[in-house]
Amino acid sequence: MSIELLLALITGAALFGVGIYGALSQTNLVMIMMGVELILAGAMVNLLAFWRYLHPDNPAGQMFVLIIMTVMAIEMAVGFGVAIARFRAKGSVEMEEATELKG
Amino acid sequence: MTAQMFFIGFFGLASVWFGIVVFRTFSMVRSALALLFSQTALGAMFLSMQAEFLGVLQIMMMATEMSIMAIFMVMFMMDPGGLGEMDMTHQKRLSLGAGIVAFVAAVAVAVFVDWGPIADVAPDAAQQTVDLGLELLGRSMLIFETAGITILTAMIAATAVAIPPVKRKPSKGATHHEH
Repeated sequence: MSIELLLALITGAALFGVGIYGALSQTNLVMIMMGVELILAGAMVNLLAFWRYLHPDNPAGQMFVLIIMTVMAIEMAVGFGVAIARFRAKGSVEMEEATELKG
Repeated sequence: MTAQMFFIGFFGLASVWFGIVVFRTFSMVRSALALLFSQTALGAMFLSMQAEFLGVLQIMMMATEMSIMAIFMVMFMMDPGGLGEMDMTHQKRLSLGAGIVAFVAAVAVAVFVDWGPIADVAPDAAQQTVDLGLELLGRSMLIFETAGITILTAMIAATAVAIPPVKRKPSKGATHHEH
């Protein structure tokens, strides 16, 4: 196995782990979004490493990376839309206060 | 150790380090900047992996995204500078455990799976861009167009959600008829 591929996969795994920690531990909506961004970044590194070291002749691997970038942009747009709506309604984006739908 | 290996390791380490800094600083603006550095290091890692187009795209996109995020931090946070050192975390032990389990599981998969033959040579930058362009406008066109429309829909939806509700006063001449 190539060391470069292993390095990239370990980087992806570490970003994924840090992202999971952030998304679960933060109470602020924007900080949770940062955690999700890191999770997606971890996925992106893996996809690019697989393209480069396993199938560099197939551009579909790069296409997947573009799709992840799109998902990141959509997540930001929708997340900030929700943040603005929440801030306007409640004056804060603290998720511990968002218990309206709690059963 | 080849130069490529060194740079992939270096930028990978930088990316993970700045990713950790995001959740270790009290200042939200510093968090956004740390995420910007993390994503930029990732873009540099892409460049090291000979994906020139995606590397440059990653750096450009993330610079814009994270600058917007920093502005939102200043807008929405009670203490964006982090001077009060407020703790804004919960279920820390559970989150740390989940993060470590996810990391170990992903590394185990990376190490123990046989990934097959490794390709030594990648197409040059110009050829990659040509191939990706043909892929986008050929086999993957439906996915590409769907992604574009999804972004447009998300932008419109996000703007619609963010616009304050307008309270319309009934006009003076209007009367209500009940049947």
